[in-house]
Amino acid sequence: MLCERCKIREANIQYTEVVNGVKTEHHFCAQCAKEMDFGPYAAIFDSEFPLGKLLSGLLGIGEEQEEQKAHQVICPACKTTYEDFIQNSRFGCPDCYGVFDLLIGENIKQLQGSNAHKGKVPRYHYSEEGTAFSVEDMAKQAQAVPGGELDVEEQIQVLETRLHEAVLREEYEIAAQCRDKIKELREEIRKC
Amino acid sequence: MLKWFEKVDQKRPEIVSSRVRLVRNWSQYAFPSRLPQKESAEMLHRLEVGLQNLGSLDGRHYEYRNLGEMGELEKKALQERRVFNSTVASKKTPAGLILSEDEDTAIVLNGTDHIRLHMFSPGLHLDELWTRCDQMDDFINARFPYAFDKKYGYLTSFPTNVGTGMRASVVLHLPTLSLGKKFNGLVAEMGRFGASVRGVYGEGSENYGALYEISNQKTLGMTEKEIVDLVNRVALQLLTQERQVRKMTLEKRRLEYADEVYKSYGVLKYARRMSAKDAMIFLSRIMSGIVDGILETEEGCAVYRMMLGIQPANLQSLSEKPLGKEELDEARADYIRAELPELK
Repeated sequence: MLCERCKIREANIQYTEVVNGVKTEHHFCAQCAKEMDFGPYAAIFDSEFPLGKLLSGLLGIGEEQEEQKAHQVICPACKTTYEDFIQNSRFGCPDCYGVFDLLIGENIKQLQGSNAHKGKVPRYHYSEEGTAFSVEDMAKQAQAVPGGELDVEEQIQVLETRLHEAVLREEYEIAAQCRDKIKELREEIRKC
Repeated sequence: MLKWFEKVDQKRPEIVSSRVRLVRNWSQYAFPSRLPQKESAEMLHRLEVGLQNLGSLDGRHYEYRNLGEMGELEKKALQERRVFNSTVASKKTPAGLILSEDEDTAIVLNGTDHIRLHMFSPGLHLDELWTRCDQMDDFINARFPYAFDKKYGYLTSFPTNVGTGMRASVVLHLPTLSLGKKFNGLVAEMGRFGASVRGVYGEGSENYGALYEISNQKTLGMTEKEIVDLVNRVALQLLTQERQVRKMTLEKRRLEYADEVYKSYGVLKYARRMSAKDAMIFLSRIMSGIVDGILETEEGCAVYRMMLGIQPANLQSLSEKPLGKEELDEARADYIRAELPELK
């Protein structure tokens, strides 16, 4: 159906008006709708209208009391607040998913039609149970690296990130193994 | 070296391109929107160093570019070729780009996410692209631990990408099908299957050039293979429908159709000024004319390459002086005349 105002573009907005109990339907294209005065709803037709905001609107619907409690939730790692998330529809860091899970888990499920990942799991740094690998496991894995084995410098770099990871996860045994292995590799380089 | 979009898939030339994109984040850093300038620069440097041997994976040459050092025009031209989007192009914090010579593989570093890998190919080749993306993903992951969660999968800035972090998309040329009354209904129906269809250069009747992009809507709860299969199925379904209506048009109104195709070729061949809108309309017509065997050119004709070539930033980058609107239309006509192959 063509827009009843410009009669050029396809109408993609249906506008129902009820005046004194009489209902009339109108069909406009986004551009014409934007140019017309719809009062508080005008922003909807703004061509710059970001999907993110729409999403936030959908995610933001909730009971007032719960809203207030939710507003106090802040991600300890990156300081993203629930409000930040509702405003921008985006998270600040990986930890946010855990922090806001209870608040927005249901919405993610609605948005995505699922709340359980299927498919690829990282090949390195994780076991199938989702826990971090030990240094020995990593050495075995390094053999299978696409594009050739990791050289010593690269191994040190990987181990350093693993060390950091392990400390974050409070896996001190693994952290110590990483530290020792890094030391060992550094000595190897010095000897060369 | 030819860029990927300078080649045409002869088997199904209506399918302009396939793309697979993966989004990943380094578990150690906050997502780009919350990452302070200094840490962004540090992470970017570590990614650059860590990935400098990327070429050892497939024996190809990759170049690293710092987006902060790139000129606005070059960024716009890369945006026109869909190497990255406007959000990345206008980003103020440090960001990088790893690009293969033929531009079919790109990794955007510290854009909206830390790592955004995507690969293009002419024709319908989502399976191969996914296999190659999967391998490159492993190469990166061997060097950098990913933010991953057992429940939510690969963690991303936007919850719309979480899970596989994968978007598979196909660009189709649907000049006849999209004219029909049924088209909007068809698009809505594809939505119910979980695939979105959108105009590449605009919405509805203003999508000049009739290129449509089909992609998966959801990223969570489907495997990568399922996503590839879904987009493949929908793309082939639309292609079959397009071919059916084209066949009918050719049978019933061959002369009218051929006339339109030849007139379009004539205008492209001789016009001295050309708006982007007109250029897209005429290029779209010769694209279908070549596919249907009405127009036979001396050498192969990658019409999609010309559709990218007539975009403003590309024309501007070919010119030595800044172009105003009218000069741009003139440059566009000059470009087309130079690129259009002779008829047999």
